[in-house]
Amino acid sequence: MKNPILEAKGISKSFGNIKALDDVDFFLEKGIIHGLLGENGAGKSSLMNILSGIYLPEKGTLTINGKLIKRLNPDLASSYGIGMVHQEFRLIDSFSIKDNLTLSKSNIYQNDFNEAFSKYSDIFALNLNSMTPVSELSVGEKQKVEIMKLIFNNSSIMLLDEPTAVLTPQETVQLKVSLETLSQEDEKTIVLITHKLKEIKDFTETIYVMKNGKMVAKDLDTKTVSDTQLIELMMGEVKTSKFDKNNFKGETKLEAVDISFTNEQNIKTLQNVSLEIKSGEVLGVAGVSGNGQVELANIICGIIKDFEGRVIVKTKDVTGKGVKSRKKLNLSYIPENRLGVGLAPGVSVLDNSAIKEYFQASFGPHLSKNVLLNSLNDLINKFSIKAPDVKAEISTLSGGNMQKLLMGRELISNPDVIIAAQPTRGLDVSAVDSIHNLIIDQRDKGSAILLISEDLDELFKLSDRLIVMYEGKVVIEIETELATVENIGLAMAGINE
Amino acid sequence: MNKFILSKKLYRNELATFYSFLIGFLIAIIVGSIILLIQSKNPFDVFSLMLKLSIGSVNSLSNSLNKAIPLILAGLGIAIINSVKLWNIGAEGQIFFGAIALNFVYINTSIENSYLYIFLLLASGFIGGSVCILLPALSKVLFGVNEIITTLLTNYIVFGLTIYLINGVWKDPNSLNFPAAAYVSESVYLPTVFGKLSSGFLICILFTLIAYYIKDKSVFGYEMRIAGGSALTAIYAGISAKQKAFIAMLIGGGFAGLAGAIELLSQTHRVSTGISQGFGYTAIIVAAITGMRPLGIFLVGSLFGALAIGGSVIQTIGVSSYISEIIQATTLFGALIAQFFFSYEIKRVEDD
Repeated sequence: MKNPILEAKGISKSFGNIKALDDVDFFLEKGIIHGLLGENGAGKSSLMNILSGIYLPEKGTLTINGKLIKRLNPDLASSYGIGMVHQEFRLIDSFSIKDNLTLSKSNIYQNDFNEAFSKYSDIFALNLNSMTPVSELSVGEKQKVEIMKLIFNNSSIMLLDEPTAVLTPQETVQLKVSLETLSQEDEKTIVLITHKLKEIKDFTETIYVMKNGKMVAKDLDTKTVSDTQLIELMMGEVKTSKFDKNNFKGETKLEAVDISFTNEQNIKTLQNVSLEIKSGEVLGVAGVSGNGQVELANIICGIIKDFEGRVIVKTKDVTGKGVKSRKKLNLSYIPENRLGVGLAPGVSVLDNSAIKEYFQASFGPHLSKNVLLNSLNDLINKFSIKAPDVKAEISTLSGGNMQKLLMGRELISNPDVIIAAQPTRGLDVSAVDSIHNLIIDQRDKGSAILLISEDLDELFKLSDRLIVMYEGKVVIEIETELATVENIGLAMAGINE
Repeated sequence: MNKFILSKKLYRNELATFYSFLIGFLIAIIVGSIILLIQSKNPFDVFSLMLKLSIGSVNSLSNSLNKAIPLILAGLGIAIINSVKLWNIGAEGQIFFGAIALNFVYINTSIENSYLYIFLLLASGFIGGSVCILLPALSKVLFGVNEIITTLLTNYIVFGLTIYLINGVWKDPNSLNFPAAAYVSESVYLPTVFGKLSSGFLICILFTLIAYYIKDKSVFGYEMRIAGGSALTAIYAGISAKQKAFIAMLIGGGFAGLAGAIELLSQTHRVSTGISQGFGYTAIIVAAITGMRPLGIFLVGSLFGALAIGGSVIQTIGVSSYISEIIQATTLFGALIAQFFFSYEIKRVEDD
């Protein structure tokens, strides 16, 4: 590296007895898009949190613009032009775009806001009035405002943590163009943190790879490095699996008939949706987020009760009945929102592990802690979950381990029907693989599976049939082997041939 | 220049709450000593007298434990309600209402067997406490009204009702114009077990175990924890968070109502303003210090009972009884600060 704008050397950081970062080096060069690749829990986010002053490293040195920084804090980091976009948005929903962009004291476009806003709106293809409240924005638009916020706060080093996780394929392509413009015209130094190979190859010029808290490869030239090389670095091994679709399909286990739903804001989010899944079958639901998938899942699982139409689980009509009626018929739901819906924050790992079937550990009013502990130990062993202290709050687990706990909890009972919403979002390649295997394994055991996903690869890989949802309607239903990425993509965008 | 930042600890010592209490108590003793020194009293003399007269003999110990009963019971009720992350500030009113309900049943019924009668009267007290919190509980689950405000306001309503009753319809003609209801018959007094210790203390032990069981060992306690952790997770799990909150509030109110009933049957023997001397408020301190743990509430409640007795006896040597209230309040203050330091760490950051 010629002339690094930021140098981090020998950075180490532990949480409890888990070593998150172990002697990590990282260099950034001005005006370049860097990729930071690694599995979940590899230490990417921890490293970024150290660069943005949120965590203090236990060891190591940080040099910014040739100046040795002893103790970085968020204020100081922002004064050195380091800005970060976190996976969870840090916008104030009730404020306008303008207020969010100009909120920080380091904002540099107080006076010529309109000019700057229109310039960067062009770069980001954001077609919105700056007085629009953020709450009215789509997820993709919020992401753009988050990145714009860094520019407005005069950040020259932009750390983007999984920015494409919430974007549609079209939005991802658009983001790539925007970031290239920023790096070339504004000389912004950009770090793209991701575990998606395709994006890191598309977006970046140089790649860093982390594994288990260590930097296993530095400054690889994106043009020359191969996919297999990157996978080997990231995983230590290459896995390619294709699932055969000669699975035996049995009797119908889940049926939704003519479902329509109008939400509290009086928006018709579902219109006459019908579907049917047989035992041993995976039905994939493609669609951009917010086209009715969450509502459909919540209706099938009994969380939403005031809908039109009927839901039939294993020949039993459960329309109008609640969550527990579905549990009795052995239906499992893996919700999109892990911490907050699937898992209760502030509650112990042990308590969270029992949410699906805690009543099986009950004897009258008594809840047996031993039964709960034994079941949890089964989960921990079977799904190789890292949980240092089961009585500690769930938030002491890493994101990947939380999802393993949630998946394990929902699948261990060998359910008849599984509703899985975005089951692999934000997970690393090996975790994705193991979750795909779990889903196929359940399919072969005779579960009827509704797989809601935005990841087309995943849908094509796992599904027997695909439906595409757009504006609350099923716009296509097709056997996976007859489907192409093009016709599914067009349907997702609402274009009918 | 140095700057300080706060960061939350991922792992917290399991005994943190206990250590926090000890630290808080130590701070309270130091603060109390300073106040005594300002008044030119020897703190060592005052505290040893307090100790001697609160736990030094069977009689004084039983006085202390009798005093602890309402603190513990009301504290347990607060802790049960807090399992769903709700705050009951209305234990004081529920204590009075428990006594009022008891007296109402007493006036309108008569049972030969005094044990059966005592049981019925205690049950009336429990139900009275539940009735007292019914309005806050309903407005919480139906309309989402903040329970802190409504339970607090109920205290004023119940206190007004008490004043009305003991000056009006229930006023004892033989009380020489002192506002109080008539005494209950001696046959329904709670018997003492040893010294002056009321059998109410045994009930208190039983209910401590019940509260511990509900919170830590029962399905209901588990469902309350999930509902308290995340309303959305509760919906997802098929747990009705509102139903849990409602039941928790009724049970918690009942615990405080039972405290009022025991106080009436063992101490005052009639409805008067003396049924509670702020027990319902001190119980909040007790519950908060222990991090809402039933066994801790039992221990800290007992200690606070002793402090109250100790505080009242040192008046004989010219020291205000407020010293024990200062110690109670400072213990909470110190313990909360200590709990904060067990949960967060302060890091020094150098600015350049």
